[in-house]
Amino acid sequence: MSALTSKSVLRPRAGGPRKWAEQRFMTALPYFFSLLRCVKPVWNVAGMTLTSRYDHVREVFATEAKFGVMYKQKLDIIMGGEPFFLGTDDRSQHHDDTAALCKVILPSDLQRLASDVEERATRIINTNKGQIEIVNDLTRQVSFDFLATYLGIPSPANGDLRVWATRLFEFLFADGGNDLALRAEVDEIAPALRAHIDAIITLRKQNKGDDDVLARCLTLQSAHEPGFSDVQIRTALMGMIVGGPPQPPMVLPQAMEQLLKRPQILAEAQAAARNNDDETLRRYVLEAMRFDPLGPGLWRVALTDVTLARGTRHEVTIKAGSHVLAAFASAMMDSRRISNPKAFNPHRPAADYMHFGYGLHACFGRYINLATLHLMLKPLLKQPGLRRAPGADGKLSKNGPFAERLVVRYDFD
Amino acid sequence: MRQSTLSVALEVKPESYEYLSSLLNELREKRAPPQQGVTGKFAPFLASVPVLHFLSLSLFPGYEYDPLFVIEANFDGEPGPFWAQLEDAIGPELRHFLACCKCPRDVLAPLFTAIIAPGSRAPIAPYLEAQSLVPTVYHHGNRGMTRQRILDECALFEQVQSELTHNDATYRKLDPLAVHHQLRTALAGQFPWINTPPAPRISLWENSFDWLGLGAFVVAVSFILSIPGLLLSLILDPTYSFILLGFSLLLVAALFTRISRRSSDNSEPTNVSLQNIAFKKPLFFYLIFYLATVSIVGSLFLMPIMGRVTAATLGDMLVWFIQGLLSIPFTLAAILFWLRSLEKTDSSLDAPWVSPRFLREMAQREDWIPQNHMGSVVLIKPGILRTILIRTGHLGLGLLLRATARDGYLGSMRTIHFAHWALVNNKSRLMFLSNFDQTWESYLDDFIEKAHNGLSLAWSCGVGFPTTRYLILDGASQGRQFKEWARHSMAVSHFWFSAYPQLTTDQIERNYRIAFGLQTHGITKERAAQWIKDL
Repeated sequence: MSALTSKSVLRPRAGGPRKWAEQRFMTALPYFFSLLRCVKPVWNVAGMTLTSRYDHVREVFATEAKFGVMYKQKLDIIMGGEPFFLGTDDRSQHHDDTAALCKVILPSDLQRLASDVEERATRIINTNKGQIEIVNDLTRQVSFDFLATYLGIPSPANGDLRVWATRLFEFLFADGGNDLALRAEVDEIAPALRAHIDAIITLRKQNKGDDDVLARCLTLQSAHEPGFSDVQIRTALMGMIVGGPPQPPMVLPQAMEQLLKRPQILAEAQAAARNNDDETLRRYVLEAMRFDPLGPGLWRVALTDVTLARGTRHEVTIKAGSHVLAAFASAMMDSRRISNPKAFNPHRPAADYMHFGYGLHACFGRYINLATLHLMLKPLLKQPGLRRAPGADGKLSKNGPFAERLVVRYDFD
Repeated sequence: MRQSTLSVALEVKPESYEYLSSLLNELREKRAPPQQGVTGKFAPFLASVPVLHFLSLSLFPGYEYDPLFVIEANFDGEPGPFWAQLEDAIGPELRHFLACCKCPRDVLAPLFTAIIAPGSRAPIAPYLEAQSLVPTVYHHGNRGMTRQRILDECALFEQVQSELTHNDATYRKLDPLAVHHQLRTALAGQFPWINTPPAPRISLWENSFDWLGLGAFVVAVSFILSIPGLLLSLILDPTYSFILLGFSLLLVAALFTRISRRSSDNSEPTNVSLQNIAFKKPLFFYLIFYLATVSIVGSLFLMPIMGRVTAATLGDMLVWFIQGLLSIPFTLAAILFWLRSLEKTDSSLDAPWVSPRFLREMAQREDWIPQNHMGSVVLIKPGILRTILIRTGHLGLGLLLRATARDGYLGSMRTIHFAHWALVNNKSRLMFLSNFDQTWESYLDDFIEKAHNGLSLAWSCGVGFPTTRYLILDGASQGRQFKEWARHSMAVSHFWFSAYPQLTTDQIERNYRIAFGLQTHGITKERAAQWIKDL
């Protein structure tokens, strides 16, 4: 089956001992980083540098002039060589590109997006009577549907946007080994997605339609606003699709798993959901995500010889070209800067979280995420008798870095 | 949760003094509304640093030293997370402030250089953490109350008042138990936490640690004071040693009796007598406790050296420690004599000069809300005895306050939120920082009337302090002189933040008592009658 017509959102992975070893490795990572935080918080090893303490991780993220992102090469493959702000470390270029997007993705949209997400999730919960698989049937469905509608990019006729975007996301962010099979799929999907968006742009020029991001882009294009050529619009929308909706189906099931592990906390989160206390619910979901965030960290590359943790006992000089892991999962567990990190405390200050990165490349969609993530789970959390499904289905399973399956039950009238 | 009090004192480059002053004022303008109230501009700050109770940023001009930039913070929990939160809230401003300070000449120099380098993104928290001063003495009013708890209980109090006002006629007909029940029923929906038992303000561990600390201090001081007797017994035969110590004791007793007779020459009755002091039961029990403790500790040291400890060895050790104990009055008398001779030649300031500009600025910033802030830095008197007494006195006073002042108040003073002393400039200056209720005048009056002994103990080492007798007498009780000296040593609090500016210490305790009562499910009739008085 061609990658374009594949129905499997996640690529099949090796099972058996390899899968077992991968899972054990992922389970052991927090302990490993906990050890690193104590004995070698900035560790130069095998041509790369691992950072694990809050201070150093944040310094790496904040020092964008010296620690650049590594996405340009792969972004060029995905975007057909067109520049996207995620791939640049030039502050002014980055600012110009994001400023254009900020003209069409407006803070005033957040309320509407939040309502839309909650409605979609409620519909799904109401149609799945008493049992639901959270990864694919709830969070992935909602996040792709609402963002596709908001951006104005529906699924292609010859494929599934969920599959295409997730493959490209994996290639861009989670393909450390440069998997040749994945690259082959990307070589099919990326041009197809570009063509799909180009076709929509052409269509929408004739009939502008709803007030979505694409319609706003076209309006600004008509007004000869810089930054809104056809190619620029396509690149921006494609970047949003690849970088955005594949993430909630990763972090939200993981957050749900953390809540299910803590019955008292789950009950409090459910009470907040039932009381429509969205702010409190958001805090519970963010805190749950801290215990199992999107990934262990993000990679950066040293653009010059650079000294990290200068003036401290852990000062390390990193050679230009070295890869540096900013382990934000470890940073959010650093008791030197995070108060009682092992305790589930939904009232933490914003500074305790690095879910969306920090500095120049902090997630562009963080405000949308903050407004909507918790609402994808809210209708489910409102259900009485929420519990795991029996057997393996009721425990979160993973496929590499992706959440794969988690089934829960609830008392449905 | 444990509360933390700390300060960071950094020397400022003299040429940057005015610039830093303007930066601090800018921050104040940015964060603080022009008059009372904390809504509005303070809101982001409140959210960014949710553990913070009080924060002050002050600039002490200094005459004998270069200016001093002081960050004072009182917060819940550990310092590390607090500094990270503060950096998140005002990181860029802090970096500018630090750039006005001198580079330290110790191991922190590279870290400081990294932080203030142009365009630096190095975290500031590690530097501030490393520069944090441990207070020599501190007091926490409303001890054990987290900021969130204070705010929650304040909200509960307001709701209680509203409920009582709206249903005045109903509540007036009810007995205390019924009022308690009715209020619980009415407020449980809005404040579900009143259905859970109240969390203890001071944990068992913290409580035990406080008393253990104080006990260890008293034993250690007793041992140090008994060293002359212990040394004497190493030189002399025990019989001669006892005879000599006995004579010394009689001499001290005679002197003491003479002093006590002198003090009873006036018509006022006095309790000062050798009998009262020497033969009180607590003292007797303490001596037994001391001998047991030092004997056990001594044995623990001896065992590895001697290989075994026999009854005879323990007996010899006990005799040795008794000889040491007998020398304590003599040692104390010698120290007091030395101290008194120093006190007689001490200089005190009768009319210290205060810069009119600073006086004006201080006046402009005081008395806007029920709370006020005070920061003071004084030079410390030189000499070995003073050096030892400051450290020992502060350590003992601090431990005593931890063990005894735990009901929200400092003795009968009901106005202090947080206060602490710390040694700065290589321990040559003493800094005092306090957050208190009511006016500065009334605060000092409180000190003068109710806590002058403790205050003299803590502050008498300051150059120019009103003359003292035997470390704790006179001194702060000389009102006018003390106030003028205190004002002279003060600086303008350029930026000052309070998380609950409208709440006095007393009101916080009242809110706590009301909340505690509501959280008590099966309250007795007597307790309800007592509890209702706070409503």
